[in-house]
Amino acid sequence: MNPDMVITVVGSGLLIFGAAIIASAAIGLIRLPDLYTRTSAIGTAAGLGVALIVAGVVVMDFSALNLVKGIIAIIAQLLTSAIGSFVLARAGYLTGSEPVSTTAPDELADQAVPATKDSSSESVPGSDAEGV
Amino acid sequence: MIPDVVAAVVLGLLALAVVLAVVRVWKGPTAGDSTVAGDLIFFAFIGAVAVFGLQFSIEAVLDIILISALLGFLSILSLARLMQGGKR
Repeated sequence: MNPDMVITVVGSGLLIFGAAIIASAAIGLIRLPDLYTRTSAIGTAAGLGVALIVAGVVVMDFSALNLVKGIIAIIAQLLTSAIGSFVLARAGYLTGSEPVSTTAPDELADQAVPATKDSSSESVPGSDAEGV
Repeated sequence: MIPDVVAAVVLGLLALAVVLAVVRVWKGPTAGDSTVAGDLIFFAFIGAVAVFGLQFSIEAVLDIILISALLGFLSILSLARLMQGGKR
């Protein structure tokens, strides 16, 4: 095996693996029951999938500058996908998206004040936390 | 640069992900589900940009990926803000 072939095989493997992880996140998006599990699936799997695709691009098209750019892109992608999915799940909870009924201890139910009701009523926190 | 078979397989998987996410946007009971599906569609397009950049030997492909990842983060933040009606 010459080095070009090794580079092609490793880079292609990384690209296909990343795309397969994104496709599995999409399957989870269809099959999981509520917003929070879907957000978890997208936040982890899509961040990892894009990071693997970037690694594949760096392997296939290698140079020192591309390596630096790829490392920065992977770090930014991992950080921002985690924070983005957290912010989305928080917005969903504040607007009263129902968790699935098997969510056993809902520890936020006492303290969450739904953001859509703030302007209309000065209600006691917790009295309307079951959602719309 | 990359073999045509690999490009076809990667683009096929990403297209499958986009189709499933569009189904979730269409069905999704709340606005949050649609937003999460839109997030996944954005990530799939980043992957497609990477494949096309390799296929046509575009030198700036990693710059495009880095900037679009950061812009996707901003778009998700603003969509979450929009879901809450402008409140924090």
